[in-house]
Amino acid sequence: MILIKKHIPLFICFLVGVLTLGSYYVPNVHSENYLELMNKWENIVAGFAFLLGLMSLFTSHFHKISRKAPGWGYSLFVYVGFLLVVVPAVVSGGKPMIGPDMTSLGWIYRFVFTSLSGTMFAVLAFYIVSTAYRAFRIKSPQAFVLFAAAFIVILGRVPLGQMMWDGLLSWTGYQVTDVIEWLMSVPVVAGRRGIMIGIAIGGIVTALKIIFGIERQYMGKD
Amino acid sequence: MEFLANLWNSFAGLFTVTPGWMTFGGWVAAGLTICLFSFLYKDNPFFKVAEHLYLGVGMGWLFQVYLFQTWKPKVYAPLMEGQFSVLIPTLLGLSLVTQFFPRISWISRYGFTFIMGYGSGLVIPMEISTNFLRQIGGSISPFIGATGPWDLFNGALVAFGFICVLFYFFFSVEHKGAVKKASNIGIYFLMLYFGAAFGNTVMGRFSLLYGRFDDLYKYSDASYFYATHVVLGLLVAYFVLDKLVLSKKNGGQEPAH
Amino acid sequence: MKNALEKFLKIDRRLIFLALTVLLFAPIVKPLGLPNKNLGKDVVNIYNYIENMPERSFVMLSLDYDPATRPELHPQAVAVVKHALRRNLRVGIFTLNAGATGMIEDIAARIPKDIAPDKVYGRDYVIMPFQPHPVAVMTQMGINIYEIYDKDRNGNPTRDMEVMKGIKSVKDMGLGICITGTAMLDYYVAYLADKNKFPMAGGVTAVSQPGYGPYLQTGQLKGLIGGMKGAADYESLINDVEKGTSGIDALSLAHVLVIVLILTSNIIMLVLKYL
Repeated sequence: MILIKKHIPLFICFLVGVLTLGSYYVPNVHSENYLELMNKWENIVAGFAFLLGLMSLFTSHFHKISRKAPGWGYSLFVYVGFLLVVVPAVVSGGKPMIGPDMTSLGWIYRFVFTSLSGTMFAVLAFYIVSTAYRAFRIKSPQAFVLFAAAFIVILGRVPLGQMMWDGLLSWTGYQVTDVIEWLMSVPVVAGRRGIMIGIAIGGIVTALKIIFGIERQYMGKD
Repeated sequence: MEFLANLWNSFAGLFTVTPGWMTFGGWVAAGLTICLFSFLYKDNPFFKVAEHLYLGVGMGWLFQVYLFQTWKPKVYAPLMEGQFSVLIPTLLGLSLVTQFFPRISWISRYGFTFIMGYGSGLVIPMEISTNFLRQIGGSISPFIGATGPWDLFNGALVAFGFICVLFYFFFSVEHKGAVKKASNIGIYFLMLYFGAAFGNTVMGRFSLLYGRFDDLYKYSDASYFYATHVVLGLLVAYFVLDKLVLSKKNGGQEPAH
Repeated sequence: MKNALEKFLKIDRRLIFLALTVLLFAPIVKPLGLPNKNLGKDVVNIYNYIENMPERSFVMLSLDYDPATRPELHPQAVAVVKHALRRNLRVGIFTLNAGATGMIEDIAARIPKDIAPDKVYGRDYVIMPFQPHPVAVMTQMGINIYEIYDKDRNGNPTRDMEVMKGIKSVKDMGLGICITGTAMLDYYVAYLADKNKFPMAGGVTAVSQPGYGPYLQTGQLKGLIGGMKGAADYESLINDVEKGTSGIDALSLAHVLVIVLILTSNIIMLVLKYL
């Protein structure tokens, strides 16, 4: 049983990994055909990976309701929300617009999904302001450098800030956008590139560990 | 059969979007937006309802996109045409779901290993060329193609800063002497990066908030029968009432915010 | 004095929320009307690239953002579609983000109305369905696009469409632009642009914009539109002002608020230290 449960899956990972890697470095008709088949299959397999998220959400809220956990009534709205989209989608055949006319699915997207999703992330703006006031402390030279970069960017991105810069610092001969451009294309590139290479090395090592079956946490427990 | 078709047609007819529905949409959008914003004052049931609705609606949207744009054309349609080879990726995909059933969860490994092997095989050459070699090349190339002293200075600064940052992340050698100096300079380059990123984050978050406020302003119009005003007023009334009831209950003690 | 300052430092954050609300809402009701000057170099680069493309070249536009980042990215997408279609280029709209399909419908509805009413679907532009697994899709687009995109979003075969004439893979396209609030652009650079020597540009949120500096410096990206400021810049370039420009105008006061708050709290801290 261990063969079916463990060894064969690990072999699939190794085989697919090595062949995919090889097809990059040995380009020919066979490797291209192989890659094409894999691309098409992966495209379909990934289409089902979404079910993991869906089932995870549904089961966790189902448990909350069945156990009558505190706030279980709210969990009902997860299912209400789901049906609010899926029923109109079935009615309209998954089309938000038919010609110039909006369908009920398009209506839900524009007025319900856009509002909810947009607002969820917009709320963060408030916290960034209160954090800026309460936690942004310039206590060291490093913190000052961080503040200086932030200051220039925050000011220079909006017309009013640009006007303020022009009024106070035009004698320097530089516009605030010039300074931001320099910041973004020189020191920021240096900082970001260092991080990038670190991530790249990490990525390569992890990928090799997965192909050779050393890293297998994603397979779950035995 | 005809009866069922008629029933379906009259059911589908209920879902026709009329101008009245568009106005009502403004009320729904303003209502949900304000309910979510109400959390900024304090946690409340309206926020919780909207929050849970968001989870459901988000999943619902993804579900219908996958249903109509992936499962139907990529699985159902080919199967109907007799292309049974799609069964292989379909079964591998469906195997992932067995994860939720502990007794047979091992089946999901077939799907996962298939995805992980393929992804790992692709990621190695890409990381090597795109994020490793090209970046090192990018740090050298300004010295070759520089058009003037300013260009040369900037190129040197990128290369110097980049090396210092690498020293900062390089933990295999003890940070002392020249290595420590280099890694300390590296921190300044990182701080410039984080500072610029923070500045841009402020703009990004405010832009999202602007988007919601702009919509609220639109729905405060007379053509939407002042939806924003009314919803906001109702919510304020709720909070006032809540505070009055609360102050009677426990002497005005409110959880700290 | 010390007590008062300490109290001011611990001010109820809801008051700060209120200040932000007022300073962001006020310019929406009554716009400041300040001009958007100082256009970003990376935005101008995309504009120039599109300007210099031969007519009927194919632009692959991958719109991978959902409603969460709509205010920043939708104006970018609208401006790029306007520019490309008005320059008589062919446009293929793709998406690898399931949440983006509704946004794309919004653009689809606007093209015949006000973006480019003279353009014909299937001849001048096409809209593809969502596809899962970005990496697989990108790898395939470098080989043969029709193995994945055999049908458009309405289920019509794409192979015979006039808009797709002469296109087998991305190697036959003129430019790719990915507008996204996720890491999709990184994937495009790695799996599509670098591998196929395909010119790629991007539109991203302000939050992730600084992260793309290295790709711009190496030329792996031909240009970048960053956040609402980038959208406003692009609108200025094509001389068609919309939400990006009005948005960046409205952000002015709120940006100044953040700077004032950081400075105030730090000055108070400094005073408290020596008091």
